[in-house]
Amino acid sequence: MRSTSTVAGVALAAAAALLISACGSSSSGSTGNAGGGASAVSTGGFASPATESLSGGKRGGMLVVLNESDFEHLDPGIAYYAVDYEVVFATQRPLYSNKPNSQEPTPDMASGPAEISPDNKTVTVHLKEGVHFSPPVNREVTSEDVAYAIERGANPNVVNPYFLSYFKAIEGAPEASGGPIRGIQTPNKHTIVFHLTEPKGQIVADALVLPLSAAVPKDYAEKFDKDKPSDYANYQVATGPYMLKNNAEGKVLGIGYIPGKSATLVRNPSWKANTDYRPAYLDEIDIKIGGTNTVIGRQVLEGTNVVQNEPPAQASIRLAAEKFKSQLEIAPGAGSHYIAVNNKVGPFSNIDLRKAVWAALDRTAMNKARGGELVTNVATHFIFPTIPGFEQAGGLAGPKVDYNEHPEGDAAVAEKYIKLAGYASGKYTGGQTLEIVGSRGGPAEADAEIANQTLKNLGFTTKLTLVEPATMYSKYCGVPKEEIEVCPSVGVADDFADPQTVLNISFNGKLINPTENNNWGQVNVPAINAAMTAAESVIGTSARATAWAKIDDELVQDAAAIPFDWDKQANIEGSEVKGVGDLWDVGEWDYNYTSLK
Amino acid sequence: MSHGAAEVVSAPAAGLDFLDVGAEIAARSPWQLFWRRFRRDRVALVSLAFIAFLIVLAFGAPLVVSLLGLPGPDVQNLNLTDSFGSPLGPSSAHPFGVDPLGQDVMSRVIYGTRVSLEVAILGTAIATLIGVTIGTLAGFYRGWVDTLLARTMDVFLSIPILLLGLGIGAACAVRGCVGGVIQPGLGLIIFLIALATWPLIARIVRGLVLSLREREFIEASRALGASDLRIMFREILPNLAAPIIVYASLQIPFNILFEASLSYLGVGIRPPTPSWGQMIAAATPIFNTAWWYMVFPGAALLATVLAFNLLGDGLRDALNPRGA
Repeated sequence: MRSTSTVAGVALAAAAALLISACGSSSSGSTGNAGGGASAVSTGGFASPATESLSGGKRGGMLVVLNESDFEHLDPGIAYYAVDYEVVFATQRPLYSNKPNSQEPTPDMASGPAEISPDNKTVTVHLKEGVHFSPPVNREVTSEDVAYAIERGANPNVVNPYFLSYFKAIEGAPEASGGPIRGIQTPNKHTIVFHLTEPKGQIVADALVLPLSAAVPKDYAEKFDKDKPSDYANYQVATGPYMLKNNAEGKVLGIGYIPGKSATLVRNPSWKANTDYRPAYLDEIDIKIGGTNTVIGRQVLEGTNVVQNEPPAQASIRLAAEKFKSQLEIAPGAGSHYIAVNNKVGPFSNIDLRKAVWAALDRTAMNKARGGELVTNVATHFIFPTIPGFEQAGGLAGPKVDYNEHPEGDAAVAEKYIKLAGYASGKYTGGQTLEIVGSRGGPAEADAEIANQTLKNLGFTTKLTLVEPATMYSKYCGVPKEEIEVCPSVGVADDFADPQTVLNISFNGKLINPTENNNWGQVNVPAINAAMTAAESVIGTSARATAWAKIDDELVQDAAAIPFDWDKQANIEGSEVKGVGDLWDVGEWDYNYTSLK
Repeated sequence: MSHGAAEVVSAPAAGLDFLDVGAEIAARSPWQLFWRRFRRDRVALVSLAFIAFLIVLAFGAPLVVSLLGLPGPDVQNLNLTDSFGSPLGPSSAHPFGVDPLGQDVMSRVIYGTRVSLEVAILGTAIATLIGVTIGTLAGFYRGWVDTLLARTMDVFLSIPILLLGLGIGAACAVRGCVGGVIQPGLGLIIFLIALATWPLIARIVRGLVLSLREREFIEASRALGASDLRIMFREILPNLAAPIIVYASLQIPFNILFEASLSYLGVGIRPPTPSWGQMIAAATPIFNTAWWYMVFPGAALLATVLAFNLLGDGLRDALNPRGA
């Protein structure tokens, strides 16, 4: 699970989910059974990643990409946000990855599907032969390079953000610090085996789509990983069709990447098309960093071989929808937002007050402030469209509970629950001032103001403070001892196509941390915790979807938080670009498939 | 500058009538002289009238909004945005249009007057009080007291106040600092304005006091046994009224802009309280689709700052015609 606002305005994180069955993809039909529910999501008649052609692109040419913000991390062992993924997934090949229109993992560095043992405690992956690192390393990739890539995720100089979330079950992983992990074995040059302490083979195998599994040559990278922080990003080598431009020593910094200014991707001379499924049409991708979102939007729409990498401003989306229709693409499944209310202390430890807020909130207004139906759907539960389990959890309409039935808000139902909470007047009269901490700027600010007004209408006295998005998480909403009562716009996106990545960290009471806590509402219901623990070990996409959908329903019954928005990602391109966005991530452009007309 | 005594002028005070030996001679106080000069300044008078209008608007905001048939400043109505969430423009029901939350911009501009005037007047008053007191003490006592206070002024003038505001705003954002004493919002802005501007007025007052304390009427007071406090606050200060008023009136528009700047940067007034600076900040990214959201609060800010500046100029000319 990635919070979508940690790099707000930059990256709604990956929304790898199941859309293909509904969209006529050639992928297997099994995903349809998992209930991703993408077919129910309208893209307003605009192009969608599901409908873009993946073949027949023109070879050659240079694409200009305009980024308002700089990258967070370009090291494949650290990269986590969409802004980084644009480069990382064009330059690196994890064991598995996704075609743009699919959430079904495709073997990438792997030669076939992961083999999970019957006891769910061993995962074996065979690697392709003939995949080479880019210059200056040039040699063939082996399983030891994949093992090192994952092991360095625990290196304190690297600090991968999801290593313990998904790879903790590997023997020796919890105490690892960058050296060999005994549960990762490489019996030969093209086989890697993961031995687990718990029956969590499925989630470990699913997580191999993350860039941490992209091979890193130990003999070359080890010296850079001794630096704190690791300097490997500045000397990285590629396995994908593109590489960051470098010099003979492999140095990227100042050549292929100038912080705050630009990044240049050129073809990787060691890449062999017959080992890869990507077409890689473009010769060069020139990423320019800086500018303002609205200005970039106009430059792109009026430009030719240029795209905007980040979510465009609402004004740009409107302009595109009205005047540049063919240059707009809408991708469903780009994450969700909800109001986190403090379940542990304060008024919202009372379930009826939580239900009252849910009932009173005008979720249609929240969505309109976020750009309207073109880029949002009203959220009615927690697993969002395209994620397995979405349909089983209620689909677009959501569970049938009275506080969920009227997205435009229902004052009478709200009053009913406030009375049930013990306030006979139908208004909250507890006298406590609610500390509300929201994100400054963009739609999150509107979310905060609407939530604030809703609470005031219910009788609460509020104190609304808006801070920078990162501050909201790091200093307030992610720090339980701050006892913030309401975080009005927290964002969630999945790491890959599994509902566990959406629900577990956000609502599992066992995962509440004193800092960097992602269970923002401090939801801690023993029955739900236990259900999550059991669901973690379930094997098979459909079975997992069912198990996690049931947990989703329990969270709704508990009104653990108030969901209001399921995001769709808008992408804009210049007139000469044949852009292909992706469904497995937030819908951002996939430069392996994008071409020029 | 007067020394407390009324000037004596001929009654007609115009043309050559003063040559009429039989004409009655009338004494006019300094304030009468000031008013005679000030009322000839049409620009300053219009500015004064506009500021009076703003004050009435600030005090009577709820009544004015109600009389105009506008919704309150915090009333959200997302039905007043289009299908893309863009706010609708000026109409008969909403003459200044609405913002992205469907809040009436005119209503918010009217209520925003309160914040601007509160900050400007209170901030200036506190800074003036501190500045005059410290400037008087420094100028009157000279020596080590002067050195100490003058260096203190230098220190305070060296503080990058906008950065300090941003820092305090960030560090004390939610729970406040110093046990909650320092909280972002109106109080913090007034505090920062006072902190930033008192040394300016203190320096001016110090210089004037250094000059005045050597004058004969001060010597006379001292000879009569007047205490230091009496000399400072009963003899010297009344003679500083004119420069203090002029300076304060010119400081007010700076303070209005300072509040707008802090609110623009997000560390000023807490939402949903309307502030012009905050509105301009929120309007910036959507100017192409909702020009009204920036233009009307911007115009209000411009007109108010201009009015205070012109009034300040008028006061300066009227109170100190030789220096004008």
